[in-house]
Amino acid sequence: MRFSIRYRTEYQYDAPVADNLNSLRALPATTPAQRCEESGVRVDPEARLIQHNDYFGTRVVEFGVSRPHDRLTIDVRAKVETSETPEPPDPSWEALATDAYRRAAAEYLLPSDDEPLNGALDGLRADARGDGPLATLLRVSELIPDRFEYRPGVTYVGSTVQDLLDAGAGVCQDFAHLALILLRRNGIAARYVSGYLFAAPPDDSEDSIEVNTHAWLEGLLAAPGDGAPVWVGIDPTNRGRAGTQHVKIGHGRRYADVPPIKGVYRGSASAELEASVRMTRLDSGNGAAP
Amino acid sequence: MATEYTAAPYAPADGFYDELFDASGGARPHAETLVSRLERLGAGELAAAGRRRDAIFMQQGITFDLTGAAEAADGELRDRPFPLDLVPRILPADEWTVIKRGLAQRIRALNRFVDDVYHAREIVEAGVVPWEMIVSRSHFARPAYGIRPPGDVYCHVAGCDLVRDADGRWKVLEDNVRTPSGISYVLENRLAMTRLVPGLFAGYHVRPVDNYPALLLSALRAVAPGGDDEPTVVVWSPGPANSAYFEHAFLARTMGVELVEASDLVVRDEVCYMRTTSGLARVHTIYRRLDDDFIDPLEFRSDSLLGVPGLMRAYRAGTLALANAVGTGVADDKAIYHWVPEMIRFYLGEEPILDNVETYLLSDPERLAYVLERLDRLVVKPTGESGGKGVFIGPRATDAEIAAQAELIRADPRRWIAQELVHLSTVPTLDSSGALAPRHVDLRPFAVFGEDISIVPGGLTRVALRPGSMIVNSSQGGGSKDTWILDEEVVPDGRPLPPRRATVPPPLPDLRQSSWTGQQEQQQQERSGG
Repeated sequence: MRFSIRYRTEYQYDAPVADNLNSLRALPATTPAQRCEESGVRVDPEARLIQHNDYFGTRVVEFGVSRPHDRLTIDVRAKVETSETPEPPDPSWEALATDAYRRAAAEYLLPSDDEPLNGALDGLRADARGDGPLATLLRVSELIPDRFEYRPGVTYVGSTVQDLLDAGAGVCQDFAHLALILLRRNGIAARYVSGYLFAAPPDDSEDSIEVNTHAWLEGLLAAPGDGAPVWVGIDPTNRGRAGTQHVKIGHGRRYADVPPIKGVYRGSASAELEASVRMTRLDSGNGAAP
Repeated sequence: MATEYTAAPYAPADGFYDELFDASGGARPHAETLVSRLERLGAGELAAAGRRRDAIFMQQGITFDLTGAAEAADGELRDRPFPLDLVPRILPADEWTVIKRGLAQRIRALNRFVDDVYHAREIVEAGVVPWEMIVSRSHFARPAYGIRPPGDVYCHVAGCDLVRDADGRWKVLEDNVRTPSGISYVLENRLAMTRLVPGLFAGYHVRPVDNYPALLLSALRAVAPGGDDEPTVVVWSPGPANSAYFEHAFLARTMGVELVEASDLVVRDEVCYMRTTSGLARVHTIYRRLDDDFIDPLEFRSDSLLGVPGLMRAYRAGTLALANAVGTGVADDKAIYHWVPEMIRFYLGEEPILDNVETYLLSDPERLAYVLERLDRLVVKPTGESGGKGVFIGPRATDAEIAAQAELIRADPRRWIAQELVHLSTVPTLDSSGALAPRHVDLRPFAVFGEDISIVPGGLTRVALRPGSMIVNSSQGGGSKDTWILDEEVVPDGRPLPPRRATVPPPLPDLRQSSWTGQQEQQQQERSGG
């Protein structure tokens, strides 16, 4: 699928702020499954934009507005084409014990510091385990929406998995964080993915929709023979594998490695945040302009 | 009664190497003069010198943290004042030459390792150090990925801890390449010794240590990003609450540079400035005395607003040198220590001059079982800590403590290493009665890496003042000694300092607000199907 994406964020401060420094991780990645055709960032007040690729390979755009201002808008535009990914491998559990797998898995098998205490997830972890790693991956993507309600507002950007367990509800970020732990504790390396989801209504009637940034995850599966292990995307918010509606920005161990916007400004003013993501299909077959 | 105590009653402890006396109780050749001088001075004179010492140190405020419970940072000696023992530790020139070469070799390899870890990963590709081991270290700094500091120097200041085993052989106990402290004590101790007991120096050519600030400053200038102006160097301290604040202030003063805190620094358009009374002034090199976690809230701990937002941008853009470089903590991790001899072979193609202490990594189940069986004879250390924090000493532990430690290790074996107990060497030390008694010591020499590696002759000798104790930390009854490296050849001092020139501050406004607020982040919450 081909999309144009416009991700606009506006901060309105109740008093002038200065030295407003921000890092954006909002540009679509180019991977075997998608190609970012063009992308651009504009900020107001105007500022010089600096770009680099971080440790995880995510494109980061940085800027700073030093003079006093009471409003900041960040406007990200991109065009991207996604394609079907090949069928994932279906390795045995034993295939995850090889040196090649462990090397590729690296930090994506390690626990993080803010995981729920021992025991709290034992039941879920056992329920998540399937006959093999691929089955487990798919099972996790079903298990979480079965057990937890998708409900915005009960958790916030800094919530932990324990918060999700306590509330019994959360959003995609929380679902992804939980899925990461369930997979890692089953010996499957897993990484958090930040991106955009073309969440069109089921009847396919809309080509241009308002969405939010989205989070899902990728699990690492050993490939047959001497093949390199493969990252396979699953979406525990929407069940099943990630597909051509998913546009990836980047990945990390958890949300904090790929936040869409991270910033800090001088002063103690508080801010009103307004953010919107509009995704438009450019290759639609149902009557809209191409 | 001036010869009330003599060398004669001094009895080196059995099973340990004494550095001034041989096993039969006779002074070693390099110590003969010293021993006779001490006899001539006598207990009364030494006691009087001790009282003058206490008065001077108190007056100069040479103290360490009194609570002993400060935050952990690499290599910081978080302790009470180190009582200076008036009997110096003497190392002959040939012995020092070996140490010096061994340390330079080790630091060069550690420096290469840091570079490799954040770039090519050759040592991983070659199968020498497992990648999982590196990424699981708490001080592996992902924001440092791909950044090449000026001159490829990462470990600008290193303080490796050395010990001598029962056979007198030198070994490296641990590496400190983040913010090792203690050099101010080396300089202050020397100054105090020349004032309090000048007679002891007679007959010895002791290599001077007082050029350290000049050495450090020239290294910090050598790594400054290029430009026409004289680079501006500052010392960044977390502030007076830090246990090593005395040393931060000492180094800034003796180098003649500004001592700053986070609120004095600001980054604009990838350039770092400090606030001065006349506006902002460009900063080229920061000698920072705090951990990576606290330097830039945009890149490190997201739960913290400490530090200077944007500092990593300036660092990445190459307009700023940080000493030590970001990410060096991966190299002085106690599990990585295990591979340092391999690093020396891999990067330098040389055999290590200084040995490691025998170390066991606990990720291997067989090793783990072997270690758990022998916990009462081993030393166990947490991998990410330093400065003696969390160290377990088997031979001194009760059964309950051993059981508790075994539990901790089993819970997360990767967080621990085990080492054979080193039988630390001894140096005669004045005990409370004014007699000489053997006390255990270690040594932290300080190396400075600018254009090349220079090592200050000697270093900080820490001594366990309690009889039989091998714990040299001052919080547990440790003191320090002046460390003499004997000069047998004339070695020229460090390069002369170039004159400082005033730089023109850029026309930027001063800053009125000094607190920072985190930008509101956006929760990721899309779901399909409306």
